[in-house]
Amino acid sequence: MDASFWLLQFLNAMQYSMLLFLLSIGLTVIFGLMHFVNLAHASLYMLGAYFGISVSALTGQFWLAFILSPIIVTLIGAILYFTLIDRMRAAGPMNQVLVTFGLIFVILDLVRLGWGDIALGLDAPDALAHTVSFWGISYPAYRLFIIALGLTIMISMWVVLARTQIGAMIRASVENADMAASLGIHVGRLFFVVFCFGCALAGLAGVAAAPIFSATTTMGITILIPTLIVVVIGGLGSLEGAIAGSLIIGFLETFGAVLLPSLSAVLTYILLAVILVLRPQGLIPARG
Amino acid sequence: MFYQSRLRSITLILALGFLAAYASFGSYFAREIVIEITILAILAISLDFCAGFGGMVSLCHGAIMGISAYAFTIMSVKLGLPSVPSAMIGLMAAVVFSGLVGWVTARTSGIFFIMATLAFGQMAYTFFFKSRWLGGDDGMGGIDRFDLSWLGVDMNDALVFALFGIAVLLLVYVIAAILLRSGFGRILSGIHSNENRMQAVGINTANHKAIAMAASGLMAGIAGILAAQHTLYISPELLIWTVSGEVLLVVILGGIGTLIGPVVGAIMLVMLKHELSNYTDYWHMIVGMVLIFAVLAGGRGIFGQIEYWLITRHPPKAPHLPPAKEKDLA
Amino acid sequence: MKSLFAKMAMATALGLGMMSVQLPAHADTKVGLILPYTGTYAALGNAITDGFNMAIEEAGRTDEFSIVTEDTEAKPPVGLAKARKLVLQDKVDVMVGVVSSGVLGAMRDFVHQSQTPLIVANAGNNLATGENCSPYIVRVSFSNGQINRPMGTWMAENGIKTVYTLAPDYSAGHQMIESFSAAFTAAGGEIAGSEFTPFGQTKDFGPYLTNAQSSGADAIFVFYAGGGAINFVKQYGSFDIKTPLFGSGFLTSPLYVAAEGEAAIGVRASLHYIPTLDTPENKAFVDAFMAKHGTMPSEYSVQGYDAGLALMAAVDAGGTDKENIAAALPNVSYVGPRGALEIDPATNNIVQNIYVYDTVMGDDGLTQKLIDTIPSVRDDVAGCQM
Repeated sequence: MDASFWLLQFLNAMQYSMLLFLLSIGLTVIFGLMHFVNLAHASLYMLGAYFGISVSALTGQFWLAFILSPIIVTLIGAILYFTLIDRMRAAGPMNQVLVTFGLIFVILDLVRLGWGDIALGLDAPDALAHTVSFWGISYPAYRLFIIALGLTIMISMWVVLARTQIGAMIRASVENADMAASLGIHVGRLFFVVFCFGCALAGLAGVAAAPIFSATTTMGITILIPTLIVVVIGGLGSLEGAIAGSLIIGFLETFGAVLLPSLSAVLTYILLAVILVLRPQGLIPARG
Repeated sequence: MFYQSRLRSITLILALGFLAAYASFGSYFAREIVIEITILAILAISLDFCAGFGGMVSLCHGAIMGISAYAFTIMSVKLGLPSVPSAMIGLMAAVVFSGLVGWVTARTSGIFFIMATLAFGQMAYTFFFKSRWLGGDDGMGGIDRFDLSWLGVDMNDALVFALFGIAVLLLVYVIAAILLRSGFGRILSGIHSNENRMQAVGINTANHKAIAMAASGLMAGIAGILAAQHTLYISPELLIWTVSGEVLLVVILGGIGTLIGPVVGAIMLVMLKHELSNYTDYWHMIVGMVLIFAVLAGGRGIFGQIEYWLITRHPPKAPHLPPAKEKDLA
Repeated sequence: MKSLFAKMAMATALGLGMMSVQLPAHADTKVGLILPYTGTYAALGNAITDGFNMAIEEAGRTDEFSIVTEDTEAKPPVGLAKARKLVLQDKVDVMVGVVSSGVLGAMRDFVHQSQTPLIVANAGNNLATGENCSPYIVRVSFSNGQINRPMGTWMAENGIKTVYTLAPDYSAGHQMIESFSAAFTAAGGEIAGSEFTPFGQTKDFGPYLTNAQSSGADAIFVFYAGGGAINFVKQYGSFDIKTPLFGSGFLTSPLYVAAEGEAAIGVRASLHYIPTLDTPENKAFVDAFMAKHGTMPSEYSVQGYDAGLALMAAVDAGGTDKENIAAALPNVSYVGPRGALEIDPATNNIVQNIYVYDTVMGDDGLTQKLIDTIPSVRDDVAGCQM
């Protein structure tokens, strides 16, 4: 195990962490802001992958798919918001679980009807379909792109949340929505914007992941659990929590796979259990 | 707080009567469906016991059921013990596991509790999945049903076994109802509504929650023994989190915190699934729509909603309106 | 996206058409198709059903067979319940299907005790035609050992000295790799390293691929199927790994190879069927399949097709009821798309050719190029007592 081994696995871990981050940040902010358990978030990720594959197949343009797919997913999210999500906000967590689980089932079968049961793939764009050599290793350019994409979004979200007015409004509403509303923040509109943004990121994660992972009808339900684990480990509602959670899980699973292969299937669960037993609110909860 | 109201008793009698009639007069497969319903209903009662009355929404009830089924099978098939002591050991394993999970996770609540129980459940699942000695993912067969020939009945007869399942379901319901009516059940409801206040009056809430989980584990364990005896074969699939997820759906669909609602939910879901899968491979979509409409129609679950309508029309002396909103999950 | 709604309408019609019982007027033999139509293996269940139906239709014998379909969801308890329903309520004469070994394991004792013949059209668990064999279970698909043993010998004979193996961590994964490794080392090869990846969870093979390459082995041998196969091959390609990739043929199955893209080129694998076999039987089959479904057949559709052929052959040999069909099935032999087939009466597993093939770029996309044929591969009688 030389330096190049550690560097390669570090990049693998980063790449996986960034995908987890894109998925979990939307979920955690929606959760923190709206107290809404959107289990169907992972289904939007699946839709992102499938729409990306279709747009790319129809136009032959990966980058068009890369932009269009999150937009389509956001539109679907907006429709869901007005038909279901908005009126479920006050219905209590159990009802939210039931409704969003129902949505998972419905979206699952719609995907089967639209795209069939056979797993599909998407090729990485030509510009990134090669490996890059540096510091004695060669690494797929597309994976480096994912890392860069994730880091860019991470940093810009931090800037927006910490330095802008809308960021302050979001933070205030996470802290205390009633108080924020009484200070003149249009909380409802803010919810909608944040919800759509979360959907867009889920769609983006889907299309970004498609060239690495195949698109299958079960991909939504399989990614749901890791995403929830990231959100819960980090602590609900905080950007820092989502960053910490996705890095922890990404690195744990990657290095667990190569260093402790016999335990790798349960490492994440062991960590989850330990963290929750020691810190029942996650590592970095948004509200004190 | 649990009340065995007249409406609940009537619903219980109707539900069990329907199952018994469906098994007796239905086709062979009707009996299979009845057993499937009873197993799911027992598991749902077990989950409603801790989730609906103790606020502990567990996502490891499939695992508890599976642990009991595995312990029972290890004892009876691998070690050759008679089936009744084997079943006792199976139940003990379920009680110990769920009690430990409840004790360790006592400080967590809401989604953190859900995820913590998921973690323990998935660890158990992975353990059996990877265990070569227990057949790994291929599972284990060779299980025998209880020998009740001294009563003159043949448990291998599908009808007899279905009626046995219904009897066990009734037994579990009664156990749960008695526990919930006891002082312990009142404390549990108290913890659910305000844990701090219960601590302030000197109650060790962590212990009570662990005991509630253990009691719930006993009922889930009963479902496990029944499941193993039903299929005469067990595999790690019993423990996977989606099983626990389905039970949770059944509980919410039927009406969480009503004890009889989950039974209604189990009947609805299993019948719906089997009817639909005869006609289409896309039955998930229709089940999904039913779940969504069930919430849009009121959000108290099927039985919960009916009870609510009846009660708001004829308020009884003891007010026990099921809550429309639960506590904040976060 | 033009075809989305057309497809939706079609699929709904298909779904509705798949009513569980279709009873022609003079059906002599009642067949229960017991396959997954929902869940991870739905594509396999549908491919097998297509193949089975095609065999019956081609022979013009749809009147003779009434078919009941049941969805196992690839869950063992569901599979067992559906098997019980087919036998005890629908009173089928024979069952065809079973994709996952877990479902087969759950059904095994019931099939044996109810003395209902079962034609296994996929599940490859070695034990089903080994230690746990039954006179009522006949397999026309493959056993996990059957596909991988010949590849172990073949690779050793073709100059590969060390191999690194990878497979998902579940029974089938272990059986595939164990049988490959045993044959490979027996022929003088050496296993440089071996890893089993968590079943159903592993999507990112990056960490494993990096390890496999640095092991310095001459070749990587893997077993992955379905979505896992696509992920693995694409990621192997994206890392630009120089160590050649070999595998169980499911890795580059015609069902999935299009999704794998150019990364699949040059992957060598062994399988019991490839659609490019140059035999009259196969050409006729492929043409008929293309005409009907518009896609190339896969090994799964052939397994369904051969299950249909085997069943008809057993009926022709005097199979009129459960007992007769069970007695006739082990003596079935014919030439099908896969080549000459027979059932080994000692194990009830199929005896068939195993093909070593290369995935190459053809005129209409990726296709399979036959490299070598290992004729009439027969499993040892490993603890099977009928």
